[in-house]
Amino acid sequence: MNLAALFRHREPIGPLEYTRRTWMRLTLLATFVFLYAPIVTLVAFSFNDSRRNIVWRGFSLKYYEKALANDGLIEAFVNSLTIAFVQTIIATILGALTALLLWRFRFPFRGGYEGAMALPIVIPEICMGVAMLAFFSRVGWPTDLPWPLNLSAITIAHVSFSFPFVAVVVRARLEGFNREFSEAAQDLGASEWQVFRDVMVPFMRPGLVAGALLAFTLSLDDFVITFFTSGPDTVTFPVKVYSMVRFSVTPEVNAASTVLIALTVVLTVLALWLQSRAKLKPEEVAG
Amino acid sequence: MAHCKPFRPSRRSFLAGTGAVAAGLTFLPKAGFSAEEKVVNFYNWDTYIGETTLDDFKGASGIEVNMDLFADNAELFAKLKEGNPGYDVIVPSNDYVERMVAANMLMKLDHSKIPNIANIDLAFMNPNHDPGRVYSLPYMWGTIGIGYRKSRVDGVPDSWKWLYESDQYAGKIALLGTPSTVIQIACKYLGYPLNESDPAKLEKAADLIIKQKPSIKVFADDNGQDLLLSGEVDLTMEWNGDILQVMAEDDDISYVVPKEGGLLWEDTLAIPTGAPHPENAHAFMNYVLDAEAGAAIADFIQYATPNAAAKALMDKSYTENPAIFPPDETVKNSEVAIYQGPEYSQLIDRLWTKINAA
Amino acid sequence: MEDWRRTPLVFWVTSLPPTLWLVVFFLIPLALVWVMSFGELDGLIDIKITGTLANYARALDPLYLEVFGKSLVFAGFTTVISLLVGFPVALAIVFASPRWRPILLLLVILPFWTNLLIRTYALIAVLRVRGFANFSLEWLWDQGNTVLALMGLGSYQLLGDRFEPLELLYNNTAVVIGLVYVHMPFMILPLYAALERLDRSLIEAALDLGASQFRAFLTVVVPLALPGIISGGILVFIPALGSFLTPDLLGGTDSQMIANVIERQFKGANDWPFGAALSFLLMYLTFAALTVRALVNRRAERRGGA
Repeated sequence: MNLAALFRHREPIGPLEYTRRTWMRLTLLATFVFLYAPIVTLVAFSFNDSRRNIVWRGFSLKYYEKALANDGLIEAFVNSLTIAFVQTIIATILGALTALLLWRFRFPFRGGYEGAMALPIVIPEICMGVAMLAFFSRVGWPTDLPWPLNLSAITIAHVSFSFPFVAVVVRARLEGFNREFSEAAQDLGASEWQVFRDVMVPFMRPGLVAGALLAFTLSLDDFVITFFTSGPDTVTFPVKVYSMVRFSVTPEVNAASTVLIALTVVLTVLALWLQSRAKLKPEEVAG
Repeated sequence: MAHCKPFRPSRRSFLAGTGAVAAGLTFLPKAGFSAEEKVVNFYNWDTYIGETTLDDFKGASGIEVNMDLFADNAELFAKLKEGNPGYDVIVPSNDYVERMVAANMLMKLDHSKIPNIANIDLAFMNPNHDPGRVYSLPYMWGTIGIGYRKSRVDGVPDSWKWLYESDQYAGKIALLGTPSTVIQIACKYLGYPLNESDPAKLEKAADLIIKQKPSIKVFADDNGQDLLLSGEVDLTMEWNGDILQVMAEDDDISYVVPKEGGLLWEDTLAIPTGAPHPENAHAFMNYVLDAEAGAAIADFIQYATPNAAAKALMDKSYTENPAIFPPDETVKNSEVAIYQGPEYSQLIDRLWTKINAA
Repeated sequence: MEDWRRTPLVFWVTSLPPTLWLVVFFLIPLALVWVMSFGELDGLIDIKITGTLANYARALDPLYLEVFGKSLVFAGFTTVISLLVGFPVALAIVFASPRWRPILLLLVILPFWTNLLIRTYALIAVLRVRGFANFSLEWLWDQGNTVLALMGLGSYQLLGDRFEPLELLYNNTAVVIGLVYVHMPFMILPLYAALERLDRSLIEAALDLGASQFRAFLTVVVPLALPGIISGGILVFIPALGSFLTPDLLGGTDSQMIANVIERQFKGANDWPFGAALSFLLMYLTFAALTVRALVNRRAERRGGA
């Protein structure tokens, strides 16, 4: 039995093919221009032969050489990706559990619990940064661990602010779940775990993917909270870049960002490809 | 919790501390020869060291410099406030040296381990912000003045009036985003001392800025020079070094310190309390103050060096550049910002909120 | 919803990990700051906890309330515009073919894997007087004039006698544009997650029964997307309310938001107790908004259920 098949859509037909409508395409185009114009500018200026991003002075790759030779920048790069990767996994699990909990159970002080879970979203970043700074320095969190354990403080802080975001997204997805399906599965003798694995997780998947993407983005982009939890050996890419661009955005920073974009694209496409391959199998069986 | 005591020495700094004491007892203070691991963690501003200085230092001493960057003094202070996360050498500006000394955040320097102090111009050896140079050594100094686009401005804008009380360049003016600096220079323009602390007078300075707001385009956070270069504004209040960098790219840009005088600043080298490698920190500071090394740094970053021996090695395009070394008259009219305690900071912040909300 | 006592084991397995994490790595650190908001500065770095309410009294000064109000307006505009722009995008992704869907999703999220600060500076490069937005407008202006000249209307200067670049930066509009730009995925992703389960047959049925596209959209799509709209709205409104980098970099001399004031307390002004009080006021305010939403929701549910 494959319940996921129940939720699969039929092939779209004429009146619903919004993506083929001109007004829709124009809106999409405009939005993507808005989203990408700055990115294109950024990439273009990474090839600029000038120290500043203001006047075009000819094509050059020298800033790529410079960025790739900048050990500090590379190290920050690796730190950022490591943190984002690890924290996304933890945050997605915790966020999904939170969403399931709030969706499924009635329990005392539920409203208060929900409120507390919203706190990390509500709190101004700088306030959370200061809270983390105070916390880690008071508990005497060790700062001299070997890599990657020295990133633990930052990773923990990132999980704390990103898992409630995941919870919100996954919960929006769960709102549409028909409880009868899980009940039916249980009536048919499925255990809690089987229901969770074979019914809930497949249904939550779009929410999990969206939530994980959000968590990854939040982590990769965070400056303020990271700034307050980082030390001399645990600089992340945003922290590094922040101090570099405060004075002037140099093409070196652009080049590094371009490399980061390229790298994340490759990794994500790879992940999508692997996922689509993994997904094919059960469907083949079902089909 | 009745009393929050923010700084707890971590295990690491404690061990390093005992190591330093042991080193001081057993070895003669000889650069690069100590019980410390061969690392020094340097917390600096961006593009504020020579291109090869760190590598050269490693070659000379075997000590690896691990440089991390901060964007402004307030950030540096906030980050070290709850305890030093492991930095050995930092670069605070003059008023923040006062703040950090008042907060016990800086270590006393051992001058005997920094023989190159002899290279420093004597005029810098006994400043108000650190009498006797107990906690800090001068690194670079400069002014805050007006950067402007020559072709769009009548003559030389040698008065703060053009920024604070004139609509001739309305919409083409940027001021700095540092609250204290903007208000202090308004005080200067009004004829008060730069460090005026009378609330009524500070209020007047704020009113002056509020009245001028329609003509001001933006309070720029350290990127006034980019706004000037991109033609977004024609006049900007800025640090001399920042304008100097864009002058190299665009002949139409120039810099002047107004006749009322500007703000003088000095960035220093200091060792924060709890530094894990104080021996190496001293060795590194000594190296930066070396004549050759100092000249290489000054040559690359183009700020005014207080290092007389280094300055002597530089050519005229540097030593006689008025945007780097302002005329004596300007220096005489200018003042240094003094740290005036928490109440002053609170007042300035309130005024700044008011200016922005008006 | 079921009572937790029915399956206590499942309840504990689901609730313990997130709860423990939240308490240890968030609520305890937060409590440190909360306590601070009842303290006074004692010298430069020490804070004496005296239980004073002076920080809150200061924060309720009309000057700061005005800044609070302005931040609410900024965040409100940002949310509405994000929704208007984000909805068609989410809809398009949902209706795209399965092969295109992950690609479109990736295209939406991709710009946000570039550092916020770099992206904001890139936005500045697009919007400034000598930026690409104005270059494009100038080009259009030139083309327009050429066309007019061809039509024999060249001498009337219908488009003005010279191109005046738009001042797109350093004002409140720029702040809203920047905030929309920064928070867009927070709207699109929840909308997508909610709409993905949209049952097309419902729309088809509505259309078959003679509803116009617009009516079908309003009566079928929007109600189904409501949970997504609400969670997207929350995820945009709240972070927008607390942003400080965008107003700092794109705003003019009157674009200050409350988070800018808070940030200064923790940095330059070095007044952590006051900063903590302002932060908590901001949080109480947001909570009030969330409670109102929950109440409205509950009433709507009750009405719907009746």
